[in-house]
Amino acid sequence: MDTGSASVVIAAAHGVVGEVVRRACDADPGLTVVAEVRDGATLLDACRTLRPDVIVLDDALDAGEQGLDTLLALREEGIAVAAVVLTDRSDGAAVLRALRSGARGYVRKAAGLSRIGETVRIVAEGGRAIDPEVEQAAVMALGQFARQAREGSEVQATLTPREHEILVLVSQGLTMQQAGRRLGISPRTVETHVAKLYRKLGVRTRVQAVGRAVQLGIIEP
Amino acid sequence: MARRPLETAPARTRRRLGVVVVDPLPVVRAGLAMLIDDRPDMEVIAETGTAEEALEIVGRVRRSRVVVLVGLGLAGERDAFWLIRTLRERFPTHAILGCGANADATTISRALFMGADGFVDKNIDAVEFLQSLRRAADREMVLAGPASAAVDQIADGIERRRELDIRLTTREREVLSVAAEGLTAREIASRLGVRERTVTTHLARIYGKLGVGSRLAAIRMAARAGLVSVGAPE
Repeated sequence: MDTGSASVVIAAAHGVVGEVVRRACDADPGLTVVAEVRDGATLLDACRTLRPDVIVLDDALDAGEQGLDTLLALREEGIAVAAVVLTDRSDGAAVLRALRSGARGYVRKAAGLSRIGETVRIVAEGGRAIDPEVEQAAVMALGQFARQAREGSEVQATLTPREHEILVLVSQGLTMQQAGRRLGISPRTVETHVAKLYRKLGVRTRVQAVGRAVQLGIIEP
Repeated sequence: MARRPLETAPARTRRRLGVVVVDPLPVVRAGLAMLIDDRPDMEVIAETGTAEEALEIVGRVRRSRVVVLVGLGLAGERDAFWLIRTLRERFPTHAILGCGANADATTISRALFMGADGFVDKNIDAVEFLQSLRRAADREMVLAGPASAAVDQIADGIERRRELDIRLTTREREVLSVAAEGLTAREIASRLGVRERTVTTHLARIYGKLGVGSRLAAIRMAARAGLVSVGAPE
């Protein structure tokens, strides 16, 4: 590897995307592609062995989830690597997730060679390069996240400690009888609490209750 | 506090974006007012330095496009965050923007958690500032200034707050918030109207739930979650 040149690992599901990124990086003397991989597991191995400066990650890798999980795994292992995410959608929640996983660059696949190359270069030099549209999508997702968090806290505040206990047991799959035995109260009493609980959550079934509770962040998934 | 005529204004001006400026510093309020009133499409409805007055003013506004600009430096028992939350509860359709100078991610996350539609840094240029007001009035989520590069940290702050809310009961959060003011157990008890013994029991349970061994550590966790502010927010 030349000194002064940043090492890049490209992780892309389809040949075309990988090709474009490859060409963008090859056109820049400050970037050297050291590996090209097709899935999350290989990416993890490549990062552990090669310790690249930058990963360029197609967010469609392994049906979308593996790429970001790999970023988190690398973080946990203490492997410092800057990540650029390539996308063809503007799903705010996905962007927010990527940013929280440590991505410092975010660019559309259709942005063109020079834009992609520029993004990788900026991130390789320690900077941040996020498409403004993508940034706004992330901000909107942040707003949504804050709203749900607040709603969750508000609903949670209306639950009595008993109702909260029962909610947790219900989410673990216990029947009313089992919950009653666990808490030392009659199944009838449990039913009364459950009815009130469902009303407060605005649901009618156990499945809905658990779903709503997780969505509001009242119980951990 | 300076007030401009509300209902007596002609219909044409009532379509303008109305801004209520809330900030403890008179000079800041005056500066923002000058900036806003200079534009033809917006005007300052009123400016005030207290939360109570802000609520009173907003309650009397009869306009559809309103932005309440809340300086996060507003302190006291009815502080900026109390105001944001109360405004959000009582006036769900008005836009609320937190405003500050060099606010950290946790402070911003607290403003958003309380119900603000965004945050503008006082250090941005005038054009961007005014554009942020317009976008907020259109109910767009806004982060203007260095904050826009800290989206991930702000989200982390909100998550820490949620985790704290999951672990502690409302009462426990209350006790912790008061404890963060530096009061003794007896003073906390007096403030909350309970026995001192109750407070120490709550605190012990809080430490256990948070996995900490001291009041200081608990308060630090509360601060990191934006449950309390330690020191001035700006």
